Amino acid sequence: METIIQSLFDGVLMGCIYALIALGLSLIFGVMNVVNFAHGDFVMLSMYFSFWVGSLWGIDAVLTPLITFPLLFTFGIVVYYGMIDHILREHFTIQIAVTVGLMTFLRAITQLVWKARPRALPYSFIQGSIQLGGYTIALSRLTSAIISLIIIAGISFFLSSTWPGRTIRATSDDLDAASLLGVDFRKTYALAFGLGSSLTAISGGLLMTFQQVDPTMGLRFGLLSWCILALAGLGSIPGLLISGLIIGVGESLAMSFWDPRARSLVIYLIFILVLWLRPRGIFGRK
Amino acid sequence: MNRKKNRNIENFLLLFFLIIALLVPLIFGSNQYKMLLVTTVLLYGVMATSWNIIGGLAGQLDLGSFAYLGLGAFTSSTLFIRFNFTPWLGMILGGLVAVGFALLIGIPLFRFRIREVWYALTTCALVEILKVVFTMWEEVGGPVERYLPYFRGSLYHMRFGSYVPYYYIILGMLLIALLVNSRIARSELGYYLKALGEDETAAEVLGVNTRACKLRALVYYSFLIGVTGAIYANIYGYVHPSFFNGQESIKIAILGIVGGRGITYGPLLAALLLVGAQEFLRASLGGEVSGLYLVIYSIILILVVLFRPKGIATLFQDGYQKLVAREVKKKSVV
Repeated sequence: METIIQSLFDGVLMGCIYALIALGLSLIFGVMNVVNFAHGDFVMLSMYFSFWVGSLWGIDAVLTPLITFPLLFTFGIVVYYGMIDHILREHFTIQIAVTVGLMTFLRAITQLVWKARPRALPYSFIQGSIQLGGYTIALSRLTSAIISLIIIAGISFFLSSTWPGRTIRATSDDLDAASLLGVDFRKTYALAFGLGSSLTAISGGLLMTFQQVDPTMGLRFGLLSWCILALAGLGSIPGLLISGLIIGVGESLAMSFWDPRARSLVIYLIFILVLWLRPRGIFGRK
Repeated sequence: MNRKKNRNIENFLLLFFLIIALLVPLIFGSNQYKMLLVTTVLLYGVMATSWNIIGGLAGQLDLGSFAYLGLGAFTSSTLFIRFNFTPWLGMILGGLVAVGFALLIGIPLFRFRIREVWYALTTCALVEILKVVFTMWEEVGGPVERYLPYFRGSLYHMRFGSYVPYYYIILGMLLIALLVNSRIARSELGYYLKALGEDETAAEVLGVNTRACKLRALVYYSFLIGVTGAIYANIYGYVHPSFFNGQESIKIAILGIVGGRGITYGPLLAALLLVGAQEFLRASLGGEVSGLYLVIYSIILILVVLFRPKGIATLFQDGYQKLVAREVKKKSVV
């Protein structure tokens, strides 16, 4: 029983970060309908940036997003105008091929710059844990989960209540109508792509507080965020959060009760089952 | 008329390639390392050509080729290690196991109308699932490599002291894959597949049984890859769950797309150029700076897809058509 509650805690905390990662992908796929296979590698790149900034200036991992966020935002804009803008109307296989090229590129660049060794930052100041009854909660994970929730709430507010956020939602719902009303869809798409990729900067920094990074971990994060997206469906931020939690808890239960190696197995099995049974996701609007 | 000429030039290019390919071991035969590289390039050619059936003709972006490869490899090698079973039959069984698995996944997949990105992601996840399953299944896989018994030249065991025989086996496989491809492309099934690859709903409305057609394409594809997997295990001399490689599976699909979806010899062309370039860059740069060859490779890949979304094989077709047009012009002037 205690193990169950302990893994529930762990899973919920991890799930919040997963939801934040998937939110970035959801912005990109949901708004411009572009299949971005490189999203997981954006997370990987952010983690390396955090490592770089953190070890260069001795900044704590939690604070690195302050610097990596604008970096990733700019990178996202550059990628949009250099690449994504040309493939908006192409067949989805072409979109996948181009973003897979980007994925290989990012992986190769990180390998070239930081070598293939795993990298980690020194202990963050939010290290340590608190005891709650008989349960241990790692402070770094708790803080990361809280920050993720705040960011998700912030994005939700941005999308519903600010002018740029509303243009993003409008183009997502009906591109032609939004264009007729004077929305420049290119700028909106670029904004959405930049925002989607800069969200990985935050999750990257948070992940670096308790995890190391290596160039091959991108595909796992990529598939993971697609799983959450499949579970949640498009256009529902609370749904995304719940799906993130389901994935996080499923993973953590599998690790403590079955086999540590089975963590990804559970995620992918949930993914396939959901696709078969609820192709629009559990909370989907579109 | 034009199409016939196109086919003629295709056959001519194929013959040219074959003569070169047959002669390759005479040039590199003494250097085992180079033979392995050339064999690897051809192996990717076989896989990309087989992928063309499901990915090019039927338009289903399958990212699971290494799932079938691994199943074929494990079936044949386990039979070989445990029961001294000849890989020549083992590879047929490996192909059949791959087909069985493909049907097991494909029937519900097509039944629930999983398409496009979601089909791609499902097949991508399958590779990772099988990797974990085989890592945990200690009787067959497990985290340690299982080496095939070593024989210095035994035809029965498909073990040779050199890579040259494997090279010819893979070349034979490639010809079979190309033949199956062009036969399907010209058959009734091929036309159905092309139709549903363009627009599935429209094909359905016109009375094409899309589910059955896609399943048949999946069967051909998984069988070819499964057989190749058994040979793959014999070339490298061991089996390991890392054979279920998601990254490489994606690469196979990319080769198919870059080569030209639905063009019989396109994926082969892409494999020869891209995998060849990759291995060449790795061999010449890899020792000095790790990762540099991948940077160059990925930039080539992005540029090719951005500027030639229909595939590099169309370069040749366009060039040929221009040539024909010019000759027609000349004649009309005269």
